[in-house]
Amino acid sequence: MTILLQVLINGVLFGTMYGIAAIGLSLVFGTMRIIFLAQGSMIVLFAYLTYWLFTLLGIDPYVCILISVPVAFMVGLGLFYTLFKDAAAIEDKNVSLLLAVGLMYMVDNLMLTFWTANPRFAATSYASYTIRIGDVNISFVRLMALVIALLAAFVVFYFLKRTRLGTAVRAASADMQAVKLLGISSNWVMAVAFGIGIGLAGLAGVVMASVYSFDPNYGFTFALKALVALALGGIGNVWGALSAGLILGVIESLGAYYIGAGWADAISYAVFILVLIFMPNGIFGGRAAVKKV
Amino acid sequence: MASPLLEVRNLSVSYGDVRALFGVSLTVEEGLIVALVGSNGAGKSTLLKAVSGLIYPTEGEILFEGEDLGRTSIRHRVNKGIVQVPEGRRLFPNLTVHENLKLGAYLPRTRAGYKDSLERVFSLFPVLRERQNGKAGLLSGGEQQMLAIGRAVMAQPRLIMIDEASLGLSPILTMAIFDLITTLHQQGTTILMIEQNVNMALKHCNKAYVMSTGHIVMSGTGEELLANEELRKAYLGRRAVTGNQGSGS
Repeated sequence: MTILLQVLINGVLFGTMYGIAAIGLSLVFGTMRIIFLAQGSMIVLFAYLTYWLFTLLGIDPYVCILISVPVAFMVGLGLFYTLFKDAAAIEDKNVSLLLAVGLMYMVDNLMLTFWTANPRFAATSYASYTIRIGDVNISFVRLMALVIALLAAFVVFYFLKRTRLGTAVRAASADMQAVKLLGISSNWVMAVAFGIGIGLAGLAGVVMASVYSFDPNYGFTFALKALVALALGGIGNVWGALSAGLILGVIESLGAYYIGAGWADAISYAVFILVLIFMPNGIFGGRAAVKKV
Repeated sequence: MASPLLEVRNLSVSYGDVRALFGVSLTVEEGLIVALVGSNGAGKSTLLKAVSGLIYPTEGEILFEGEDLGRTSIRHRVNKGIVQVPEGRRLFPNLTVHENLKLGAYLPRTRAGYKDSLERVFSLFPVLRERQNGKAGLLSGGEQQMLAIGRAVMAQPRLIMIDEASLGLSPILTMAIFDLITTLHQQGTTILMIEQNVNMALKHCNKAYVMSTGHIVMSGTGEELLANEELRKAYLGRRAVTGNQGSGS
């Protein structure tokens, strides 16, 4: 029983990054209608930023959030206006998708060239600290990851629900042309959504550097996991995406413990396929998506 | 004669190699309700899209209060007060009624008078006040059309362009919507409406243009056109009744 509880908790904590990444994917998909496959690579890129800031300048990873997230947001705006703006205006979304794939390979290989494939880890003094509750050990950095993910989800949720621009972002996911007809700049709406998506990658990067030892090859795997979480959570649903990330973490954790560590990935992709077959709108997204038609 | 608010001069529009408008000219004077009628594919919606800035003309000019709109952005035109109620309403079904209206007043120019605009919309369409916290996608067809018009009113328009307000509505609802458009007009908004329901449109307008295959083929007051034999044969015979079902584009 204790072990099961420990596995479940580890799973939830493990899934937080999938959750953050999935929220980002959801925002980008909602406005631009592309699966931003480079999301994982951006997370690794910002994990490196955190790692280098920590290793070279001694800046604590949690302080790095104040640097990483704004930088990532600006990078997102920059990427949108240089790479994706014109592609987003084209009806054929394959162009944007191919751009994302190209960006992913470019970032991955640049990181491999500059920083080698050696695993890196921001080895803070508290990295191995655990909190013991009863018989269960909870890793401090992973618990922090969960707290950060919840805060991030809340901020994004608040932005989408309570601000004028956030409302426009949600409207854009339903009908971009109608948004344009109200005099709202579709490029700005997409750029902000993209900026927040990459900003979340900046946040996930901090979490990654403080929790895992990572290398440049993690990017694609993470993008796929985030995509699975996105499919589970349903598109355009912040809490759905976050919860789905956590659920995916639990599934992997359970699978790894009870079936074998090597099975974790296979199980999560099997879940992905099953969900797409039986619940194409996601486990939470059924109602909203049906109404759209 | 009132001064022209909108003047379209010799406008031509092409979609790739396909020409949709051939040198169309029309004027909409301030304070009028002007109808643009014609069958499916006549180029009515294309004309509206060119005025709102969704597409740019290949030839000709669009003047608003004497200013050539040229290749200005949609945002610029909405800021000038040109607001379109698009065909098929194009609401945001996942947003609440209130949020839909809020987005209508997105531009800084319209934010100051936001509360007054909202009151104006709610007094025009009381049902929207009742439903303001419900999802727009759950409204009935007539209510959705009201919301689409209400959203445009939120932008404090000088000129509202309504594309096929009666599309998909029952005759009773169509009548109700036309009454509301008339009320809106009486409150001082200039209106340019596109209609396939020629009979209703001509009865409710000060002036009308008839379009066919990218040309304006006739114009006059609503009464004049209603009395026109040629037009009656072409649009108000039995075919007009069945012709209402299609969708212009």
